[in-house]
Amino acid sequence: MDERSSIHFPTISGELPDFDPVTHEILNGKLLAIVDEMAIVMTRTSMSPVIYEVLDFACGICNKDGDLIAQTNGITLFTGTFGVQVKSVIDAFGDTLAPGDVIVTNDPFSGGTHACDFAIVRPIFSGSRIIAFAINIAHWLDVGGAIPGSLPPNANSVFQEGLRLPCIRIARDDVVIEDILKIIRGNVRLPEMAIGDFNAQLATVRIADRRVSEIISRYGAETLELTFRTLLDESERQARAVVAALPDGVYNAVDVIDDDGVGGDPIKVQVTVRIHGDELEVDFTGCPTAAAGPINCARGALNSAVKTIFKALVSPHEPSNEGWFRPLKVIAPAGTIFTAEMPSPTGWYYEGSVHASELVWKALAPIVPDHFSAGSYTSLCVTYISGRDASGDLFVHIEPEHGGWGGCNDRDGASGLIALTDGDTYNYSIELLEAKFPLLVRRYALNTDGGVGAGRYRGGYGLVREYEICTDDAEIYCGFGRTDTPPWPMEDGQPGSVNYLEVLDKGGLTERLGRSPTRAVRRGDVVRIVTGGGGGWGAPSERSVDAIASDVCNGLITLEKAQKLYPHFSTARAN
Amino acid sequence: MIRLATDVGGTFTDLIAYDERSGRLFLAKSLTTTDDQSVGVLDAIAQSEEHGLSTENVSFLVHGGTTVINAITERKGVRTALITTEGFRDVLEIGRGNRPDLYNLRSSSPEPFVPRHLRLEVAERLDARGNVIRELDENDVLRCIDVLKAEKVEAVGIVFLHSYVNPAHESRCAALVREALPEVSVCTSSEISRQWREYERSNTVAMNAFVQPIIRRYFRNLEVAFEKKKLQGPYYAMQSNGGIAKFEKVVDAPLTLVESGPSGGVAGAARIGSIVGEPNVLYFDVGGTTAKCSLILDSQPKLDSDYKLEKTRTSPGYTVQVPVVDIVEVGTGGGSIAWIDTFGRLRVGPQSAGSTPGPACYGRGGVLPTVTDAKLVTGVLDPSNFAEGRLKLDTDLAKKAVNLVAIPLQMTVEAAAEAILRVAEETMINALKLVTIQRGHDPRDLALIVSGGAGPMLGARLGQELKVRKTIIPTHPGVFSAWGMLAARPRVDVFRTVFGDVDEAGIAIINAVLTELEREAVGYFELPTEEGLSFSPKVEMRYRGQEHSVAVDFKRSASIADLLDTFNAAHAKAFSFDLPGSAVEFTAVHLHAEAQTDVINVARLGSEKWSESDAIKGHRKVYLGDNGWVDCKVYERTKLSPEVDLDGPALVEEATTTTLVLTGQKFHLDAFGQLIILPG
Repeated sequence: MDERSSIHFPTISGELPDFDPVTHEILNGKLLAIVDEMAIVMTRTSMSPVIYEVLDFACGICNKDGDLIAQTNGITLFTGTFGVQVKSVIDAFGDTLAPGDVIVTNDPFSGGTHACDFAIVRPIFSGSRIIAFAINIAHWLDVGGAIPGSLPPNANSVFQEGLRLPCIRIARDDVVIEDILKIIRGNVRLPEMAIGDFNAQLATVRIADRRVSEIISRYGAETLELTFRTLLDESERQARAVVAALPDGVYNAVDVIDDDGVGGDPIKVQVTVRIHGDELEVDFTGCPTAAAGPINCARGALNSAVKTIFKALVSPHEPSNEGWFRPLKVIAPAGTIFTAEMPSPTGWYYEGSVHASELVWKALAPIVPDHFSAGSYTSLCVTYISGRDASGDLFVHIEPEHGGWGGCNDRDGASGLIALTDGDTYNYSIELLEAKFPLLVRRYALNTDGGVGAGRYRGGYGLVREYEICTDDAEIYCGFGRTDTPPWPMEDGQPGSVNYLEVLDKGGLTERLGRSPTRAVRRGDVVRIVTGGGGGWGAPSERSVDAIASDVCNGLITLEKAQKLYPHFSTARAN
Repeated sequence: MIRLATDVGGTFTDLIAYDERSGRLFLAKSLTTTDDQSVGVLDAIAQSEEHGLSTENVSFLVHGGTTVINAITERKGVRTALITTEGFRDVLEIGRGNRPDLYNLRSSSPEPFVPRHLRLEVAERLDARGNVIRELDENDVLRCIDVLKAEKVEAVGIVFLHSYVNPAHESRCAALVREALPEVSVCTSSEISRQWREYERSNTVAMNAFVQPIIRRYFRNLEVAFEKKKLQGPYYAMQSNGGIAKFEKVVDAPLTLVESGPSGGVAGAARIGSIVGEPNVLYFDVGGTTAKCSLILDSQPKLDSDYKLEKTRTSPGYTVQVPVVDIVEVGTGGGSIAWIDTFGRLRVGPQSAGSTPGPACYGRGGVLPTVTDAKLVTGVLDPSNFAEGRLKLDTDLAKKAVNLVAIPLQMTVEAAAEAILRVAEETMINALKLVTIQRGHDPRDLALIVSGGAGPMLGARLGQELKVRKTIIPTHPGVFSAWGMLAARPRVDVFRTVFGDVDEAGIAIINAVLTELEREAVGYFELPTEEGLSFSPKVEMRYRGQEHSVAVDFKRSASIADLLDTFNAAHAKAFSFDLPGSAVEFTAVHLHAEAQTDVINVARLGSEKWSESDAIKGHRKVYLGDNGWVDCKVYERTKLSPEVDLDGPALVEEATTTTLVLTGQKFHLDAFGQLIILPG
């Protein structure tokens, strides 16, 4: 049972909602059912593995002002982006929106993330009045630009990262405007897949329109809008209560981003979190200016990154809406690595934004230890393998990697889980990918050699995944963070281990990569992907001897290494 | 001939037996005995014997229930090892690596059913087409056998990559282990599933191995006890696919019993639908803690071949690749507790008062308001006539409990009770919509069949909200799963992952695979030919580039154009769009084979002379929301006459439950004794 189900009967009824709470509860359930239905349609009909396996998409409903009302997302990256995107649509079109209009936008600098993420927005009307917006955002496998997949790890401007459509009307009267589709088809490498995903997205916002209209015709637009307002106000009140219970104070954290993709120095980043009463302020002042490489994120993505942690703090299980975030304030000067502006590249923005999230997490962990674990492998370690298969067709295999999470204050960290930025993200089935791509997986195992951060509760294990290339024409590129700076420990634990990618060529040479631009690989080469183990929580000397013995028995750690990391284990064995 | 079914539930073991010659029915209920469930089963049989059941006349027996799911839930399996392809022993532990609990920054993964030191690797490798890249290293297998012996393992699962295409290496490995360790239970992944996805197949075989020795022992004990009672065989078990199978078959793949109980209800609903001429049915079963819904189309339950055990909002659970009737479950049932959350909103469930202490009105110490309390406060339940009068309900305690939400909401007690019911119903309606509207099926084309003790009280309102054609309360709604087991036929489902374009060559491949599957099914039923079997083949298809497929019926004679039309229509129905002209491919073949045996017949009721006044037990005031307190006639179900139309509002009482019919609705008993509620 989670905390939601605690039974609670308020005895004082001074603060009654100003309308029928039963109707409100029913409408709330209906709104969540609508966004769920959008998500089901999206995963079942999408053409691209990034969406149906990785769930790199989100669906939502916003009110007429663009405030998020209900959302489903399979990943955390889109926690706070919808509002800004819908507001940019409102700004761009004002009163000229009509029923049956659909707007597309993928501009990182209008609340978006990177050009690969296409948002589809549909206004929902009651008569001639806009009541709500349905929105769907999904990662398209390729949107043109310098290389297949559109994310050159060494991009130095946004123009290398593909086609951008900043708030363009793509359907009128529910009919898709063919000219816009032509622009898309002409600018992406996998047009069928792109249009397939567009169709899936279009279907989701159409269904949302139909369902919201059903609610309006039965309960009336005023009742629905009252539910919107009540939802936002209730969430705000809850969030403020959680923040108010935390000790007022100033909390700091620092971290290092290893490599920006074009070979710069390690980048030191920092945060100051101020809690005052029921408000929480997150201040990134002092972070360096935007990097030359594409790990920058724009302000929309930064806000989303901070909101992810704030949501974890105030209410990890209640459905998301804008109300939760009203007590949160994010301060960051323009033009920094977390607030990049035109024409800074942002293709790998989530490699930057995840550090913004982790900074806030790290600053808060000491005061809320039962909400946060020690540091994790952090980076999605996205790997692209592309080329031509036996029949000469282009293939693009894109894969985020799973890795080790940090120890907690009461248990070991989790092994082989997806990083913070994603969420309900599956790894790619080996049998499925071998049937599709000229690749042979040689190993998929826990990374026991790299190990984990020792501690009273140790970190979880990262993974090793090895691909043998089975075609003459292939290349890889990748974006691995935390290649030098290991996951941070808590209390007196030890840091975890780092991520890297190795190419083992047939001649026996090994090359280690982190954020790497396109590099050719040959038939018989092996691409070894290694993700790190999480940081430990608490002093290793406090780890239970049974837990150490179990790790030794299961081959997670050698006896020698166990005796070295945990001296008390040798003593216990000797007795 | 007597047909007998027993359904072992969490609290009670239900028995239903039907003597086809005399038309006599035996119903019995015993307490479920958790340590050895066969004891409770024999108790129920003994009870029926006291009422005159003669066990020698039983010639058809079905057993179903929670035995397998309990062994899994309570982790009461055996010491199990897993043998995998070299390099892949951690696949079982890694799982799919997803974090459904997005904002929980202390996530954990489900514990695998086989610990790492008992996961052993052998050198061997196939490619995706099933070609051997590396021969099975039998020395590795021998080395594994030594470990299994030293570790005193009782069961072994074997899973190799791509065994869904070519099971040869798995079979050879199994043969070597079986030969060396005859006392150890051995199963291979391809014996249970011929579908791709290595984690899902690994987990399937690991869980199957984990419970197999226990289930084998359980069924052997049961068989001995049945034989002692001179019950005639063959003995069948209720599978999760809506069909039954002989005991000796289910012990090979005990995981196929994982949703045995609910599947009995689904089979029953399909049968009732056929009897009343409604092939398309929405089935809804309301228990104490949860409610379950399933869709039945063309009298066939929909199957889910990727079933997730123990999946919650916060845990990915364990996926198993066995055919399970597609059931959507919600945490709202008759015992669900109403409460007010920190927002001041009224919520119902997922906490439940269960059977102890039970709803407040039971007077067994429960103080929190439940759905059942709300039904009592609104007058739907008769306090003196609950569970055949065995349990007297306390209306004052129910009101006291409902007041816990009525006071903060500033409502009268009856209005609060009505509000509890509306919130509970809304959760149920959303679940019912999930299996219908959200999957492209219009409830207006369906009949709603409602069972379970609390179901008939809610059915009329749910049917009205969903605008179904009719709402049906079947005979014996309280023991409907057991009844359904008597309506099920011997059935096997075989799946193959197969790729092909939709062209002449592709269709030829599908036909060849289908022939192979049909042969397999004939072998499964140990028949000389396919006579007496019915085959329903389906193919899974998708637009090239998609991952998920849509299943459509496959006819050997159908043209390519027909097949594409069928697929485009199915896709449009499920997802609101289709892409005619886009390339389409096959991904799988599914054959559902069923033995055309006789099932329980439902006798036509005689139409005796009838007077309404005989059937009316009395009158009761029921609180119906906006209409306030409304006077309702109370009928005794057994005294209703077939085909006589009556008007709501009304209450229809029977031994285990009460049906509420709303104002404006009509109802009647049909010729087969089913209670049918029609919109006005």
